[in-house]
Formats: sequence, C-alpha cells, structure tokens
Amino acid sequence: MDQLVLFVTLGFAVGAVYAVIASSLVAVHAATGVLNFAQGSIALWGVWVAAELGATGTLILPIGSVQIADGPAPTTVAVAIGVASSALVALLTHLLVMRPLRSAPALSQVVASVGVMLLIVSLVPLRFDTTGAVAAPILPSGTIEVLGAQVAVADLIVLGLALTVAVLLAAYFRFTRWGTATRASAEDETALRLTGWSPDRLAALVWFTTGAATGLVAVVGSPSIGLDPISYTFYVLPGLAAALIARLRSVLVAAAAGLAIGVFQSLLMMMSTYDFWPVWAQAGFGETVPFLIVMVALFVFGRSIPERGGVQTLRMPPVRPPRTRPVYALVVVAATVAAILLTEGSWRFGVVTSIIMMLIALSLVVLTGYLGQISLAAMAFAGTGGFVLSRVTTEYGVPFPLSLVLPALAATVLGVIVGIPALRIRGAHLAVVTLAGALAIQTFVFGNPAFTPYEGNLIEDPTLFGLDLGVRSGTVLTTTSFALMVLVVVGTLTWATARLMRGRTGRSFLAIRSNERAAASVGIDVAGTKLLGFAFSAFLAGIGGCLIGYSRGQLSVESFTVFVGLTLLCTVYVAGITSLAGAVVAGLLAPLGVLATFLEGTLGVGHLYSLIAAIALVVTAVLNPVGITGSVRQASEHLIHRRTTRAQL
Amino acid sequence: MPSSEHDRGGAALLEIRDLTVRYGGVVANDGVNLAIDRGEVVGLIGPNGAGKTSLVDAVTGFTAADGEVVLDGRRLDRLPPHRRRRAGLARTWQAGELFADLTVADNVAVAVQRRGWAGLVADVLGRSARTAPDPSLEMLGLLDDADRRPDELSLGRQRLVGVARALAGGSSVVLLDEPAAGLDTDESEAFGDVVRTMATSGRGVLLIDHDMNLVLNVCDRVYVLDFGRVIACGTPTEIRADAAVVAAYLGEEPVA
Ligand SMILES: Nc1ncnc2c1ncn2[C@@H]1O[C@H](COP(=O)(O)OP(=O)(O)OP(=O)(O)O)[C@@H](O)[C@H]1O
Ligand SMILES: [Mg+2]
Repeated sequence: MDQLVLFVTLGFAVGAVYAVIASSLVAVHAATGVLNFAQGSIALWGVWVAAELGATGTLILPIGSVQIADGPAPTTVAVAIGVASSALVALLTHLLVMRPLRSAPALSQVVASVGVMLLIVSLVPLRFDTTGAVAAPILPSGTIEVLGAQVAVADLIVLGLALTVAVLLAAYFRFTRWGTATRASAEDETALRLTGWSPDRLAALVWFTTGAATGLVAVVGSPSIGLDPISYTFYVLPGLAAALIARLRSVLVAAAAGLAIGVFQSLLMMMSTYDFWPVWAQAGFGETVPFLIVMVALFVFGRSIPERGGVQTLRMPPVRPPRTRPVYALVVVAATVAAILLTEGSWRFGVVTSIIMMLIALSLVVLTGYLGQISLAAMAFAGTGGFVLSRVTTEYGVPFPLSLVLPALAATVLGVIVGIPALRIRGAHLAVVTLAGALAIQTFVFGNPAFTPYEGNLIEDPTLFGLDLGVRSGTVLTTTSFALMVLVVVGTLTWATARLMRGRTGRSFLAIRSNERAAASVGIDVAGTKLLGFAFSAFLAGIGGCLIGYSRGQLSVESFTVFVGLTLLCTVYVAGITSLAGAVVAGLLAPLGVLATFLEGTLGVGHLYSLIAAIALVVTAVLNPVGITGSVRQASEHLIHRRTTRAQL
Repeated sequence: MPSSEHDRGGAALLEIRDLTVRYGGVVANDGVNLAIDRGEVVGLIGPNGAGKTSLVDAVTGFTAADGEVVLDGRRLDRLPPHRRRRAGLARTWQAGELFADLTVADNVAVAVQRRGWAGLVADVLGRSARTAPDPSLEMLGLLDDADRRPDELSLGRQRLVGVARALAGGSSVVLLDEPAAGLDTDESEAFGDVVRTMATSGRGVLLIDHDMNLVLNVCDRVYVLDFGRVIACGTPTEIRADAAVVAAYLGEEPVA
C-alpha cells in the first residue's frame, strides 16, 4: 500500500507538467484554434534559463547573455526570470508565427508550430551547457507521511500549482467577460470585432499567460523531474493526449487527464520493478501510453465521414499531377549518376543519403501532399525497415532484393496500424496521433534493450549474383556499386510512384484530400484508400530505412529519431509537399544530405544544421505557404501566362 | 398513374420505407415512404428546412436513420455510403462538393475507375488511366470544359458536373439535390430535357428543386414534404390541385 502511494505521488511532478501543458493547449486552442506543438519547448526554455541563473547567475538569451549576479542568483529571481522567458517565448511564437498563419491551412499551422518546437530544441544545447547540469532545489525539501508513505512536500506543491492554474484558467473562460469573448472569437472573429473586443489582444493575453503558467510549473518541478535538453519538449505529447481527451473543450478535464497520465506512467514504472513484468515491457512502455490513449479517445469521439456542417476539407496547396516526361527523368538520372561518379568520400555519402532521403520525402508527398493526411511518423516507418533489415540479414541470412522487401512490408504493417486513427481523425489531430505513434515506436522498439542485441543492430552487406554491393570497400567510404544500387532502387520506386500519382490511385487520393464526403458519394472507399495510402507510404519509407541501414552497415537509432522525422516533414513542406520536384529538393536539403555535407564539410557549421533548418522552416511556413517548388511553379505559370496573353494581343 | 403508387409493394426500383431522421431534438424526416420506378422521374418539393436534403443524406448513408432502403430488391440501409453508390444508388450535393484539385473529366472519371489494389496494380503495370471522357459529360454538354478545374466554371455548370459525376458508372437511381440552382431559364429548360433523357434508359431519377416549373413539367410523380412528413403525392396535375400543398408550400407562388 505505501509503495503504491509512493509511486502515485512520484508521478505528481511530471503529471503536474502534463496537466499545465494540457490546460494551456486547451486554452490556446479556445483562443486561436491552434494546436501548439511547441508548448513543451516553451517550458524547456524557461527551465534552462532558471537553472542557469540558479547555478551561475547568467541570464542566457537566444543571442547573447547578461550577468545578473556574481555567483548563483537568488531562487526567487531565477524562478521569476525563468517564468518570464517562457511567457515571452510563447508571446513571440504567437505574434511572429501563429498569428500570421491564423487562417492558413491546418498543415501550415502544424508545420509552423513544429518548427518553433525544433527551433527551441536545437537552440538549447547550443546556448546552455547541458552536460552534467543539475537544477538547484527551489521548494522545501521535507517529506510528510501520507498513508504510510514518505511524500515529498515539493511534489505536492507543484501539483497544487498546476491545479490552481487549471482552475484559474477555467474560471477565466467561464466567468470573465474577456474569457467569454475569447471563446467567442475562436468561433466567429468578425462578430467579436463588431462588439469592440480585439481578438488579437485576447489571444495574445492567453498565449502569454499560458506560457507563464507552463513555465512556472515546469521550473518549480524541474529539481524533482531533472534537467534534460529534450524531455520537456516531448511532454507536449501526454499534454496533447490529455487535451484531446478533454475534446479541447474543458481546461479542468484536460488538467485532470494530464495528471492521471503522469501518475499512470509512474505506476507502470512500479510494475516494471516486479518480477512478473516482462523484460521487453520495461523500456518505452510509458511513452506508448499516451499514444494508445489518444488513439482510443479520438477514435471513440471521431466520425468516419464528416457530418454536414462539420469541418471536412483540409485546405492544402494545389496539386498538378506529374507529367511523365522521359526527357526530364533522363536529365535528373544523368545528373545524379554524374554526381555519384564525380564525388568521393563524404560528398558522395551526402549524395547517396540525399537520394535515399528523397525516397522518404516522396512517401510524405504521397501521404500528406496527395492524400492530405498529416503524418509525423515517416522516419519511424523508415527506422522499422532498418531495424527489421538488421534482423533478417544477420539472423536469417535473407538475400539482397528480398532483404529490402521484407522489412518494408513490416513497415507497411506498422503504417497501417498508425493509419487506423486516420479513418476518424483529421488535420492537426492526426498529426498528434502520428507523432505519438512515432515516439512510441522510437522508445519501445528502437530504444528497447530487450530488442537490441548486445553488439548493436548490425547489417550484412548486400550482394547480388556474387556482385558485392556493400557500401564500404577498403578505404572507400561509399562504393560506386552501392551508390548505383541505391539509385536504381530509388529510381524504380519513384517511377512507379509517379505513375500511381498520375493514375487512378492519385485521382482517388486527391478526391479524398479535397472532399471526403463527396469521395464516398462517388463510390470511393475512403477508409480503405486511406489505409492504402498509409501502407504505400510506409512501404516507401521502409525501403528508404533499409537503404540508410545498408549505407551505415549497422542501424544507428539516431538516424530515425522523432526529431529527424519532424525535420524531414518540415523540409518536405518547405520544398513543396505536393510534387515530385518537392521530394527531390527535400532530399537535397534533408539531414545528412548534400546541404548538410556542405554545411559540415565546407563551412564547418554542421552542428548548426538543425537550427538553420528550423529557422528556415518557420520563416518559409510564415512567408511562403506553398513551398519553394510551389512558388517557382507559380512564378513560371505567371510568366507563361503573360507570354501567351502578349502573344494574343 | 395513381397517387397511391408508393404503397403498392416490392415492385419499384428504389423503395424507401418508414424513413426517420433525427438530429438531436429535430425530427428532419418522420416515417417517410417513397418509391421510384424504372424510367421514372420523381419530384420532391417542400419549403426550406422541410427535410429534403436529410432524406437524400439518409438514403445514401451519410446520416444515421431508421427505416429501410431497398434498391432493386436489395437492402442497402446497413451499408456504408460508398457501397450504396457501387450498388447503383448515386446522388448529387446541394452545395456542389466537387473535387477542387481534379479536372472536370477526372471528377467524373474518379467515379467509374477501378479502385484500391486493382487500381494500384493497373496504374503501375497497365495502361494509362486517361480514357475517353465518360458519356455523361457529353450528355450534359460539358465536353468543352473537360480539362478545366471546377472553380473555373460558373456555379450552374458546376452543378452539372456534379450531375455528370452521379450518372457515371452505370448508376441505376440518381438523387439530384437542387441540380438546377444557378441555371438561367433557358438552361433550366434544357436541363429538364436532360433529366428526361436520363430516365429513358430505365434509370430512376429523384429531382429536388425549388423551381416549380421545372419539377412540375418534368416529373411523372411528385412528393411534397413538409416538416419531415410526406403531405401529398401524385401527378403534377394532382399536386397543383391539392389544397394541402397549396397551403403549405405553393401558397403565393404562381404556378405555370
Ligand atoms: N447536421 C444537422 N444537425 C442538426 N440539424 C440539422 C442537420 N442537418 C439538417 N438539420 C435540420 O433538419 C431540418 C431539415 O433540413 P434539410 O436540410 O434536410 O432541409 P431541406 O428541405 O433540404 O431544406 P433546403 O430547401 O433549404 O435545402 C432543418 O430543420 C435543419 O435545420
Ligand atoms: Mg436541402
């Protein structure tokens, strides 16, 4: 009994952070209709600012720093400034990024807020000394006895703070005129403007306040949760899960659900200390919980076909189905062959990685660009491919082309599972589920020691008819035969995908993307086609993951983290998510691709890659919602149009 | 044709029996019985909010409803919308609802093509999906617009694309929800002829429209809906003479 109580209360600190994030998400959604993926990162920044102040008295800003005190700053000052920085980050996110995108498609909003999330996460390790930092205690360190267990007073205080925040937010929305007006503005902005309230200012107020509240609970809870350059960012997921359980309506339900998830994870931890608990379930199980919860909750609440009057179209950048022009294809292939033959060492490795990433980018063009399903899980599918590749080559000795197909099929199965929620969930909500799914796969499969052999996930080199297609040979980092093999595989799949997109499949994808109800009314099986899209997309990503695995000789989990996945989606979005050309450009820009090689090898700023990518992403998302290839096309169509009109005169 | 046509039992092509639709407290359809025969054009009229669109939604599976929908002897009321369409029951939408990213030709072609895995295999290995335009495009005079996108067309013509999409692929019954809205008088008259042509091949047609001239001139029989109930049913001549209809609906409107 006392152990049960102990573990329940151990979940309070994290649960409180989930709770405050969840209630903030509901509040921000009520005010602006945005799901803010960066809410966890907002907490992360405040936590680190406060920790640094508490340790050295230095106030770190995104650029530059100020020495506030000689030696550690007083606790109250550190906390206050930490909270203020969270609030400011939230306010700036609203003013600079989300407000300009107020009426943009759901995809742009998701991408932009993911961009802010990535920006902060890549900034933290650059600005703070994240090795060995410890958060100084903030709250009294005593314990009190509850039902026979020693419970830290600090955890109870953090819990109390989070609940107070939730109650205050709920009261604000329910009882104050501002709150009521804020809710009204999410529904009808013009009506609100007529009443004289400024929706912008009310929204800014909500962003600022929730930023401060999230910062406060996280900063005060950080000594007991621990300092970490990433984890707070991902607390947004349980937060989102809780917010979705509350159907984005009730701040109080969201907070309670967030707390419950925290406690539940802590209880899972307790279970895993028991003998009967299976070894494979010891790692990553807690992270899969939010995924399962979101999936079930959304599935229960969702509708398979949107009702009349319900939100049903996800506005997306326009699509012009690819024309198969053999000339262009030949030029691109020739250029790629030249790039392979004329480079060596890390550059050729960059070229090969770009070709592979292009395939994974293509999987997103199919799924998100054509079918309209926002997925943040592409890299997780790729990783699954690589993971299975390591098994089938080392343990079962499956020979080369088959060794690509089997893992890709495994990824396909996983793709369908993650895709099931899409049958009833749309837009930004689906992005949440896929992100949760990706994190679950990452921690439960890739990060699970029970699934990884002692010597790592080795992969045997491919051979075909006695021909060695291995990536390394002696001192050669990337052999020509390997590079050409990658080109053949990716080229074939791209060709097949282009045919699909031009054909019946692409047509029904686009029909579903533009109007699910109408698609069902012309006889398209919307559910089946969506699953087909997820399956096909995961297959492509799975092959890509195998190729990445082959190019490394062993599966490096770092190639497939959720961050790489997020960065990739954003890169594809920036490059143009509705076209083949967009996938090609995304391949060049992708992590470890040609651009990354250039930054690393030529400019020596490789460690800034993710920061540069995040900034580019946010800027593009705000200024240029159709992506690079989209605007090039618009410009060229404009030119052609001008020329033809002139010719007619 | 006798006005009691709808209760003569199993012979009609489409039979709607005792259909009830509720939205929370609102009863949008209340025990509606309606039948459409082969080659018959049936009109459905009623004031705004009478429940016409709800009826179409319920019959095609887009709204939960109680009651039976029987097409050619086969119960459809438990099937999802796409299966009903594949069984031959097609509809148009009051608000158009075309596929904005597809050309007019593709809007129609997507309704008849091979689907799912079969379509996927055919795409990769088989012939191109660009086939001759569907005959329904010609029937509705849309051939010239085949390569345009819906938003380049007038609202009236967009409706016609919706009709073409419903006709494509051998649908045996089409439910047309205000297809002539946005057409001018001449176009509307021409459209009336097209509706008659649709039915000549044995297809059943349900025509919902607020244009009384169109409905009463084109239809074989007309149902009148008010507050979700059928208040009258009969030939155009009978409907013109029906006191209840005049009171409920036609009222002040002059009838040709
Ligand atoms: N999704 C819905 N939820 C709640 N009520 C609805 C819904 N759809 C329709 N209704 C209500 O059901 C009733 C019937 O509406 P319906 O649209 O079927 O009428 P209609 O005859 O098609 O009208 P109109 O001529 O204006 O198209 C109306 O009172 C309407 O407000
Ligand atoms: Mg209607």
